[in-house]
Amino acid sequence: MLPELGHAAIVVGLALSAYATIAFVLGARRGDRAVLASARRAIYASFGLAALAAVTMVVLLLTHDFSVLYVARNNATTTPPFFSVISLWAALEGSILFWTLLLTGWASLVIWRHRAGHVALLPWAGATLAAISAFFFAVMTWPGNPFTRVTPVATEGPGPNALLQNHPFMGLHPPLLYLGYTGLAVPFAFGIAALITRRTDEEWLGIVRRWTLLPWIFLTLGITAGAWWSYAVLGWGGYWAWDPVENAALLPWLTATAFIHSSMVAERRGSLRIWTSALVIATFCLTLLGTFLTRSGVIASVHSFTQSSIGPWFLAAIAVALTGSLGLLVWRLPALVGSERPAAPVSRESAFLLNNVLFLGITFAVLFGTLYPLAVEALSGDTVSVGAPWFDRVNAPLFLLLLFLMGVGPALPWGAASWRSVRDRLGLPIVAGVAGVVAGLAIGMRDAAPLATIGLALFVVAILGDELLRGTSSRARTRGEPAPAAAWRLATRNRRRYGGYLVHAGICVMAVAISVSATQGQDATATLRPGQNMRVAGYTLTYQRLVQEPLRDDPQVIETRAEVGISGRQTGSLATALRSYPSSSTPIATPSVQTSLGEDLYVTLLSYDPATSTVTLHALVNPLVVWIWLGGGVVGIGAIFAIWPDRRRATAPAPAPVPVASAGATPPRREPIPETAAPSVRAEEA
Amino acid sequence: MNVRALRWLLVPLVVVPLVLLLLHGFGRDPQAIPSRLIGKPMPEFRLVTLDGRTVTSAELRGKPVLLNFWASWCIPACVDEHAVMLEAARSYGSAVQIVGVLYQDTPDGARTFGARYGEPSWPTLLDPDGRLALDFGVTGPPESYFVDARGIVRYKQFGPLTAAVVSDQLGRLLGAAGGRGS
Repeated sequence: MLPELGHAAIVVGLALSAYATIAFVLGARRGDRAVLASARRAIYASFGLAALAAVTMVVLLLTHDFSVLYVARNNATTTPPFFSVISLWAALEGSILFWTLLLTGWASLVIWRHRAGHVALLPWAGATLAAISAFFFAVMTWPGNPFTRVTPVATEGPGPNALLQNHPFMGLHPPLLYLGYTGLAVPFAFGIAALITRRTDEEWLGIVRRWTLLPWIFLTLGITAGAWWSYAVLGWGGYWAWDPVENAALLPWLTATAFIHSSMVAERRGSLRIWTSALVIATFCLTLLGTFLTRSGVIASVHSFTQSSIGPWFLAAIAVALTGSLGLLVWRLPALVGSERPAAPVSRESAFLLNNVLFLGITFAVLFGTLYPLAVEALSGDTVSVGAPWFDRVNAPLFLLLLFLMGVGPALPWGAASWRSVRDRLGLPIVAGVAGVVAGLAIGMRDAAPLATIGLALFVVAILGDELLRGTSSRARTRGEPAPAAAWRLATRNRRRYGGYLVHAGICVMAVAISVSATQGQDATATLRPGQNMRVAGYTLTYQRLVQEPLRDDPQVIETRAEVGISGRQTGSLATALRSYPSSSTPIATPSVQTSLGEDLYVTLLSYDPATSTVTLHALVNPLVVWIWLGGGVVGIGAIFAIWPDRRRATAPAPAPVPVASAGATPPRREPIPETAAPSVRAEEA
Repeated sequence: MNVRALRWLLVPLVVVPLVLLLLHGFGRDPQAIPSRLIGKPMPEFRLVTLDGRTVTSAELRGKPVLLNFWASWCIPACVDEHAVMLEAARSYGSAVQIVGVLYQDTPDGARTFGARYGEPSWPTLLDPDGRLALDFGVTGPPESYFVDARGIVRYKQFGPLTAAVVSDQLGRLLGAAGGRGS
């Protein structure tokens, strides 16, 4: 009964999203308010139906109803409730259901938020979102039905994917990523609406500012959480492998980041409008491509779901989305070219343009490396793989240049800059950067990449600090406020600017941590009998004993762990394990990570011999890794600070402010005066 | 030609190569790595069956062998192919030797499966530490290997067996054994 209910919800959801698509278009053309209102209600209802289907699936998983194929393949009677619930996104069909839930959720939220305004844009954005939702409902109605029945009914299943079960982070990483992916449909929808209605001015950019940053935050945190999960679970001691599916998440992140930057210029200066429209299209198409790559079986990776018949559907969707949106862009190109305002060569605009070029360069490099093996195989039949070293080599210089721009950009004024003001701004930060390089050399660092990263990061942080100091002292002087209060007020009156600075500072922290941990780590491998020692980078590891027992909360899973005592900069004991899951042919590593602010001691159990109790351990000392996660947190906090609704502006006549969707509580106009005339800028221009 | 019209070329220039490339990706299964064992002798083993007998690779020589890696939790694929194998066991009789290998599963699971979907007339080997599956390079059940009478691996079936695959492959192996083929 329940599975039929779930599938019925999906079928009705498809009908309603299809109706909403048509009703939005008709309503927009005729200006019929009643039709538009019914289209909006259809969107809300489709969200309700997706939620109903998702809840149904969760109930089926929790009750281990093996008459449903998805449950029979991804659940066992012994699966703990938490992992039963998150099995919703353990495999292909469930993940599409979850995806649809989030997509219709975003669509409902944004349409509800803007229901009273943007009469020209909203119906077309709504139609775009409804069409995308209809596609996902259609996939679940036909090839990817999550509620397919199976006979005969099994009495036991294999349980969820072993990797999914191994770490509670799987309850966090996919939802964050999916929230990011699906949310990026919103700026795309408004971009399409702007192109269709020829309103490619700053109106749509004003609307999507927060609707882009919010999914961007989710995507950023999702990618960081994925790296953290990979580090904590996969047991190879690293956090990023340039795996095709990691790349698939990174690609839309890169273009979305570029979009966030170029849209600031487009909104404020009227330049880079074509870029901005192209970037929002690219971002959405890349999220589709990522979905396709993970769900079609085209590329093998730890993330791949099983091969399925939905691949052709996604390919068709990519073709339609790309053809339609690029065609639209080309059609509107003459108008966009006409409205472009040129940028001065040395200005913040041109720094943004260069930033965009670099982001696109990285995007192309990553896309090329990801698809290259497929292309070679198509053309010559050979099997090749593009390894992490290639990605590192190509992208490292581009990322370093980006880091440099991150510092220079804020130091340049909008419009044309004078060399004197630039020199004045950059002197101290350059000294800071050089000092960082010298300090790195002094402690024995010889690799160019981490030295350059440290130097550039200090350069950027010095510029950002200098900006904050100048603004604070100017405000403290003119208003007579104490410095801390002046700094806080300055930041909260210019959230976008100072939130952005905080994001940049977080990126600097991450960049240093990534380049240092990637190049300065040490490791050792040893086969030990109980009582024997191994040494790595100042630590002594003493292998004590081997323990083999079933997991307490899931007796199907057998854990074999080596207990090890450690002494060195951290002391104590640890246990590193291999777990055998019934659903996995190879045991899953459960590495032990001993974290400190300076370094992680990371120990994996490579193999063991139960007869003699000998084990082979791989121990790595990874410097600064914890700062990657902390930096990611700073990025998240900075971005949240930037989009936090401003109380002063909320008092302006805005349509019914609501706490959840307060993202839209600002008038859709450009950034108010305080930011463009921030004290530091004023001081400089005086 | 109108230069401004050339901009329309941008659309197919981007879309067509990408779609063709991704289209090429279909039909190939990234996990279906061709087995390196084809044309090579089958890995040697000495394993205990579900009912306690010992079977070695050496004693399987002399007849074509269908070696099937399966698990009771592999549903529905292993259930589907179970019917195919029951039928094959009936029709080929003692001309071929079918051997099941239990993959990441408990003997109890296998017995329940047999009681439910039909007791196999062939032996089921227990592979408790997965050594044989590792030697064969099995990535997941079901996976089957067709081995000729001299113990040479001839074909790997990735995924469930179908009646067509079984009759093709066993027909080939029996033909070769009778001196008519190859």
